[in-house]
Amino acid sequence: MRTLVFIPAWNEEDSVANVIADVRESLPEADLLVIDDGSTDGTMARSREAGALVASLPFNQGLGAALQTGYLYALREGYEACAHLDADGQHPPREVARLLEEIYGDRADLVIGSRYRDPGKAESDDYKPTLSRRIGTGVFRFFLTLATRQRFTDTTSGMRAANRRVMALFSEHYSPDFAEIESLQLAVREGLRVEELPVRMLERTGGSSFLTPLRSAFFIFKGMIVLLVGQFRPRHPEASER
Amino acid sequence: MNALLLRAASESPKVHLTSQTRIIAAVLALAFMGLVLELIRRDKLQERFSVVWFVAGLGMLVGAAFPGLLTLVADAMGVRDTNVALFSIVLLFLLGLALNFSVTMSRQAAQITRLAQERALEKASAQARSGENGSKAKSESLES
Repeated sequence: MRTLVFIPAWNEEDSVANVIADVRESLPEADLLVIDDGSTDGTMARSREAGALVASLPFNQGLGAALQTGYLYALREGYEACAHLDADGQHPPREVARLLEEIYGDRADLVIGSRYRDPGKAESDDYKPTLSRRIGTGVFRFFLTLATRQRFTDTTSGMRAANRRVMALFSEHYSPDFAEIESLQLAVREGLRVEELPVRMLERTGGSSFLTPLRSAFFIFKGMIVLLVGQFRPRHPEASER
Repeated sequence: MNALLLRAASESPKVHLTSQTRIIAAVLALAFMGLVLELIRRDKLQERFSVVWFVAGLGMLVGAAFPGLLTLVADAMGVRDTNVALFSIVLLFLLGLALNFSVTMSRQAAQITRLAQERALEKASAQARSGENGSKAKSESLES
């Protein structure tokens, strides 16, 4: 199957080249697209040097818009499967290959890589989150499970694989503000098969988390409003049937 | 009809507006509409966004000319104090306008995002094509 792997990157010049090399090694069949979200550093140059195709947004538009660019490209260029992972090096491409297997086998429309191996635990063996992140994770898990009636452990995971039905949906309807969580709610509401797969994640090799306690609180509050509003959005059956 | 207009134009005992404040209000309303006109003339304001401000300026002018109208409106709203009626109307008007601007901004933000995405994809497609041709020099000259 023709597969596109895309990597949203915003000022990730330290790690993006390594990620590209890793993806090439683990997924040699897949085409590679880096979506440069208005970086002001050398992200675009490093990606091109590493031999990746680069879609460069002229100014920073946020993760949601960057991911949507990837889905749009995959849809238009006729790819049958696509996957994305973060540019900071915490997502091993070997694990992305496992997500794609689920798409190839048509066992799901959208597969999420979850860093929590044991769904009952907030921590896994290789991953120790901060307190504010643990609280946020717990709140989002609870509300997303309530909204979708499906169990999710890693609601903000940026490692996903998808088929064409998801590309069609996400390239038209994708929240620019709250991409990760709202997209899960949206996909479940549209009747798509969303599956979570436990994966191994690493410490980030570059960049830093944007979460401070105050931002986390605001993030959580915003997320709850987004989920609440999302429950009342109209459905788009025509988008996911294609 | 004339009698009604005259009654509306005369100083109303319920509205605490002296002739002096009415003149100031009228001058302010005219100056406001003049400012809107000037902004359009200098291409700083598009006509389609100016209509609502002209209506607001006219409303101010009418209010200054016929304070009795305000009493009628307040009575219709069931508000005893005409000042409260005035403030409520203005507040609701501004609230609606602010919401309208947020809606406009959201639409434009979505349009800008799609525009940025289209441009990014065009550049990626161009890079892909030049890569297929095997002319690396050409892609480099395109970038610069």
